[in-house]
Amino acid sequence: MFQIKSPQDLGAAVVFLAVGVAGAYFGSELRLGTAGNMGPGFFPVILSWIVVAIGVIVGIKAVTVEGPRVEPFQLRPLLVIVAAILVFGYVVDTIGLALTAALLTVLAAFARRWREINALETILLAAALALFSVGLFVYALSQPFPAWWGR
Amino acid sequence: MDFNLIQNLATGFSAAASLENLGFAFLGCLLGTLIGVLPGIGPIPTIAMLLPITFGLDPLSSLVMLAGIFYGAQYGGSTTSILVNIPGEAASIVTCIDGHEMAKQGRAGTALGVAALGSFFAGTVGTVFIAGFGPPLAALAQEFNSPDNFSLMVLGLVTAVILAHGSLIKAVGMVLVGLLLGLVGTDVNSGLTRYTFGIPEIWDRIDFVPLVIGMFGITEIIRNLEQTSLPRPQLSTRMRELWPRGQDFRDAWGAVLRGTGLGSVLGILPGGGAVLASFASYTLEKKVAKDPSRFGKGAIEGVAGPESANNAAAQTSFIPLLTLGLPSNAIMALMMGAMIIQGIQPGAAVMTARPELFWGMVASMWIGNLMLLVINLPLIGVWVRLLSVPYRLLYPAILLFCVIGIYSVNTNATELAICAVFAVFGYILLRFGCEPAPLVLGFILGPLMEENLRRSLVISRGSPWVFIERPISAALLATTVVLVLALIVLPQLRRTRKEAFRE
Repeated sequence: MFQIKSPQDLGAAVVFLAVGVAGAYFGSELRLGTAGNMGPGFFPVILSWIVVAIGVIVGIKAVTVEGPRVEPFQLRPLLVIVAAILVFGYVVDTIGLALTAALLTVLAAFARRWREINALETILLAAALALFSVGLFVYALSQPFPAWWGR
Repeated sequence: MDFNLIQNLATGFSAAASLENLGFAFLGCLLGTLIGVLPGIGPIPTIAMLLPITFGLDPLSSLVMLAGIFYGAQYGGSTTSILVNIPGEAASIVTCIDGHEMAKQGRAGTALGVAALGSFFAGTVGTVFIAGFGPPLAALAQEFNSPDNFSLMVLGLVTAVILAHGSLIKAVGMVLVGLLLGLVGTDVNSGLTRYTFGIPEIWDRIDFVPLVIGMFGITEIIRNLEQTSLPRPQLSTRMRELWPRGQDFRDAWGAVLRGTGLGSVLGILPGGGAVLASFASYTLEKKVAKDPSRFGKGAIEGVAGPESANNAAAQTSFIPLLTLGLPSNAIMALMMGAMIIQGIQPGAAVMTARPELFWGMVASMWIGNLMLLVINLPLIGVWVRLLSVPYRLLYPAILLFCVIGIYSVNTNATELAICAVFAVFGYILLRFGCEPAPLVLGFILGPLMEENLRRSLVISRGSPWVFIERPISAALLATTVVLVLALIVLPQLRRTRKEAFRE
């Protein structure tokens, strides 16, 4: 049927269509109102439909104009970094900044390929960053973190 | 007017130049350079990452520190361009061409020195520009009504899109997605929550900090980690001397003057800014040079001109933000976000209602420039050494500072989840060739656009003609249409745009 000429554009089109359709769908429960008396749904729903239109245009471009291919997604760095961020958020209040900083450093190391991971270096870096961040953020800048295990 | 200008600046300096604020300017400059000089981190992620540290300060100090960070980050970008040929951002791409060539010839010190001196001169002129043009523009902005503001934002977003790199239509899409994201939260008019999906943390808007750190900082880390060979600087340079010699001065001063003039003017345009200015200046220098063939082989004018131009433009691009409340590029959007968090809504009102804040900020820009010159230049050796720290040791630290920054704003784990969501979103979009910068502009302007649209249509009882009936609004919209048509009708223009952004 159609030949995909620009995979990047196709991907972008899918994202725009998804955002636009979601915006219009979840905005449908909001009152639209009239132009002279805009309801909460007026502007977002209009915007959503324009985003859908953009998605369609980009989609048409994807099957008509040659474009660059999509670089392969590398899940490892993405997932590891995202996991590290989430872990930080959910444990820092309980175990304190020092341990969390060290934990984050160790977790982040796994974003690299197995053979590139250097255990000793990572542990040293984790210790250094733990001390540095507690010193800087808790003691010097008095940011709202418990330093050691909940205190 | 001249007397006022001096008086106004005096107000600013007396507010900004307290010992404490000088300290913050110093710290900001230092941190900005420190992060900005790291390979693979441009000014936008640098500023995003450092934003949270400024939040605990009082408004003026925080703006002073922010200005320091801003200049430090910009200069850090130039340093990496010259020394290792890695432009941190589009504005320093042209600096790479001749700057890195000079470095290879052992004249890295001269290139860095000329960049810093030129930037300082341009920054000084830019400050005077703001002081001179600020008040009249602010007075004009007082005439603006809701329809005019709405049209102004349309113009600003359209020019920003035209000047963004990559595909036009995708940039438009990104602006619109940004606008939509900006509307998430409680609708001020009806009090209803929109698109919050029962997450209380986003009842009053999605927070700015996790969004920008996620889309710029974290995405950048992930992207760098994907490369098999991480940006590894080649430090073949010797730092013979920093201060340019007499001959260098003679070669460079003309370029500095032209770059400053060009940059100051281009910076004021909504959507303009550092990128356009540095490209334009490089082209101009090549045109006026007696022997254009020297360019690309280490011509000092090729560093002096663009560096002055991009600093002048960086300076004057504060004008639309501070007088009209319109951020002209993603960096200005970050500045605007920081001001809003401090409880300052940028615009003409700041100048009249809180002159010490406005003029203090203007003065602090100049102080930031000065700091750059007197502190950073002597420290070049340190920055160079920093460049050789391997990325595998840097990225955990950068990641850690990002998350600490986000968490310290609200001490809430949900903020980090939001950051993670936007990191993934930004990553996917980048893979599909969509730059995140236009999205941030839209995100900042979303609520303002809606409010101005609502008010305009209330005044006109729903008639959209109000945007054409008011002369200011009509002029702004006409400009927008002309710009868009020019881009569609004139194929050369489109080609120039493509070439300008080709790396």
